[in-house]
Amino acid sequence: MLISARMSTPQTASAQAFTVRDPETFFKAQKRNRRATWRMSALSMFAAFLMGIPLTLVLTPLLYAVTLFIADVINYFSPLPLEFWQNANNLARLGVRVADYFINQRGTLDPQELAIGLALILVPGMALALLLWAGIALLFRHGGVGGTLASLNAREPNQADLKELQLADVVQEMAIAAGLPAPKVMLVDSSGANAAAIGTSPQDARIVLSRRLLDDLDRDQLQALLASLVASIGNGDLRIAFNVTSVFEAGGMIITLINAPFGRRSRSTLWRVIRYALRRAPADQRSADADEVAELLADTLDVDSTDIDRFFNQQNPGFLKKILRLLLFPFMFTNIAVEITLWFFLNVMLGPCMALLWRTRRYLADAGAVELTRNPDALAGALQRLSQDATTIEGGEWASHLFVVSPNGDSTLRGANPSDDQKRKALAAWKATEDLGGTASPAQATATPAQVATDEYLQMRKQIIAAAVAAATGDAQAMVRVQAFAQSMGADPALGMHGIPNLSDLLLAQRGNRAAIARLRLLRRGRQTESRPSRRGRTGLQTKSFISFHPPLNKRAKRLQKMGAHMIAPIRRYGLGATIFATIMWLIFAPMLAVVGVAMLALIAMMIGLNLLFLTLWLTVIHWAFGQDWVANFNGFMKFANDVAKFVSDVMATANKTSR
Amino acid sequence: MDIPYGMIAIVAVAVLVLYFLLRTYNNLVRMRANLRTAWSDIDVQLTRRHDLIPNLVETVKGYMGHERQTFEAITEARAQAVSRAGADIATRAVAEMALGGAVGNLLAVAERYPTLKASQNFTLLQEQLTSTENRIAFARQHYNETVRQFNTSIAEFPRNLVAGTFGFLPQPMFAADAVDRAMAQVKI
Repeated sequence: MLISARMSTPQTASAQAFTVRDPETFFKAQKRNRRATWRMSALSMFAAFLMGIPLTLVLTPLLYAVTLFIADVINYFSPLPLEFWQNANNLARLGVRVADYFINQRGTLDPQELAIGLALILVPGMALALLLWAGIALLFRHGGVGGTLASLNAREPNQADLKELQLADVVQEMAIAAGLPAPKVMLVDSSGANAAAIGTSPQDARIVLSRRLLDDLDRDQLQALLASLVASIGNGDLRIAFNVTSVFEAGGMIITLINAPFGRRSRSTLWRVIRYALRRAPADQRSADADEVAELLADTLDVDSTDIDRFFNQQNPGFLKKILRLLLFPFMFTNIAVEITLWFFLNVMLGPCMALLWRTRRYLADAGAVELTRNPDALAGALQRLSQDATTIEGGEWASHLFVVSPNGDSTLRGANPSDDQKRKALAAWKATEDLGGTASPAQATATPAQVATDEYLQMRKQIIAAAVAAATGDAQAMVRVQAFAQSMGADPALGMHGIPNLSDLLLAQRGNRAAIARLRLLRRGRQTESRPSRRGRTGLQTKSFISFHPPLNKRAKRLQKMGAHMIAPIRRYGLGATIFATIMWLIFAPMLAVVGVAMLALIAMMIGLNLLFLTLWLTVIHWAFGQDWVANFNGFMKFANDVAKFVSDVMATANKTSR
Repeated sequence: MDIPYGMIAIVAVAVLVLYFLLRTYNNLVRMRANLRTAWSDIDVQLTRRHDLIPNLVETVKGYMGHERQTFEAITEARAQAVSRAGADIATRAVAEMALGGAVGNLLAVAERYPTLKASQNFTLLQEQLTSTENRIAFARQHYNETVRQFNTSIAEFPRNLVAGTFGFLPQPMFAADAVDRAMAQVKI
């Protein structure tokens, strides 16, 4: 028994015709995974770093003003060396000199001085951004990601129920095979079939799955799916997911902080974050809270009417407000620049990058699953089965990237037509259940065994659907017949393809579940059951990227095939015409997209340039107010203002000329 | 002041070499610890099977009262396996294999009793036993993979220098053929 391959329960028959591929490649894949973890963490940190650059526009003038003020106070008591004031002066004039050098071809520019100046200007913002990101990571560490999922009426598996006992056992087995501590398993009673791994590290990882998944898959398929989750936990995906989401949350935090002086909504968000930080609540409640706050922060990243806009767009402001508006006008410009930059950076550049990197993790988790179970057929079968099902689990939108299959449904693996073998098998199975009552099944085509007549097949399909609907509405005999048919077909993932309703749907409909009854009615009218999520939330990490975090199921299936899986239904192939069409479309659109991308970058660069100009203006004003040589500074400032005015008017003139 | 480039270079190289040595040694130590954990995992699962079997026997005795031989065989095999719990791998493997065979036998005989098959208790117990067999198999698989990783590691250059100096030896796998050979010597 020690030597034999694993046993399955008598109910399941699993074909174990797996030729062992070189095990070393799996090990190498694991090693690559660990390095990739490090890379993605580094990328997240770099992103947090970059987010600090827009922040500079707000932070540096403040720091500069404070420094000069303190210097003034100190100078009153004991004079500071001349170099200090000279350096401060130079810093303020840096922007002007750069502009002079490039636009007017005047003056000299010392690269070392430029580098130091740039560093001094940019460092405060970057440091703050990094600190914010680290703080947010610390804050959410205990909450983890996907906390709402766990708190959604999640329960422990009931050891007295065979399926749930199998679930607990299967998770333990996979944890042993992977050499990891066994993650805690939670069940959710949902009509979608999906599973997710949540938490922040292999030590506190949890697996949440829906009861429906247990009903849909057999033991081996369930094992393969959970192996994929355990493999992804072992590869460090939880840490990566956590880092990625915390970058987005830090971005939201930055915007909240900037908006806070202006509006109530940002202040309330800030208050919620503080309250979450200080509150002491039981672990599950905390993780649900964490999710809510995270969503709130990420929402602020969406560029719509923010507090600042409202502050400035308000009609009929009071006199005080008018004065405030005038004083704070540069802030509005700055803040808009910050927001647009952050939005572009996170949603257009970082989001899709992360999505593509995350897909790689998914593929590697699949490879890990095959390595653990040595049974690629099981995973292939599980994926095919899930492609027929609704896969949304309510409350899991924020953690949508953590699921094993995309919660928005994936129709790429739904086969076009069942193969002839499958048709014959189905006909034979249906005929065998004839004696259980109901209409007589159509005769099998005997003339050409290689070709199953479509008439019989379609007839059979109609009969099956009719029997299923009858069973759903309470006909016990029909129920028995359909169950026997489903039993004899085994857990054939092609079951859904025959137009046969899901067995669990039948059971649910019998108990009066409206959604199940609706799905059965759809099936009866001949339409494919659509697995659309009930509400497309605005939230979710997925909204931050137009590229899906989940690789399409047919690509995953193809990779499994390369690893030795035997797909029961053929994977739909795109014809030559479709490929050519797609290539042509890409050739047309890619340059356009590139142009748009470059234009956006240019726009942002221009905005940043203008803001640096503003920044220098601020710095000079501050320096003039607090600096030593007031008269000279004043003259310098007036000259600078003149220069700026001339430059702006030049630009306007050229713009007018070209637009005419 | 002349910057002693030569000295700096030598010190840098020495630091690098030291760092490499330390890291390699720590990695090997960690891998060896993993190996020991993996081995004890197998042990844990074997013990679990020992503990589950009396329960199984009790459950089925009520239904299969006449199958005395089967019961005796499995009780005997279990006693043998438990008594050899501290022995070396070859003897243990033989005894555990025999026990596994006896369990399989009992379950096969139980198939002939439909009342037993329908019993909820029995299906749950059967699932537990199946799972135990699987866990033993997976623990073995994990151990073998860890051993393979370890053996490859200490064979690679330049790691083999460190391994040789500090006494990291290649470990044997929990291979099927070793058990086969042991089995061939003993009559079951």
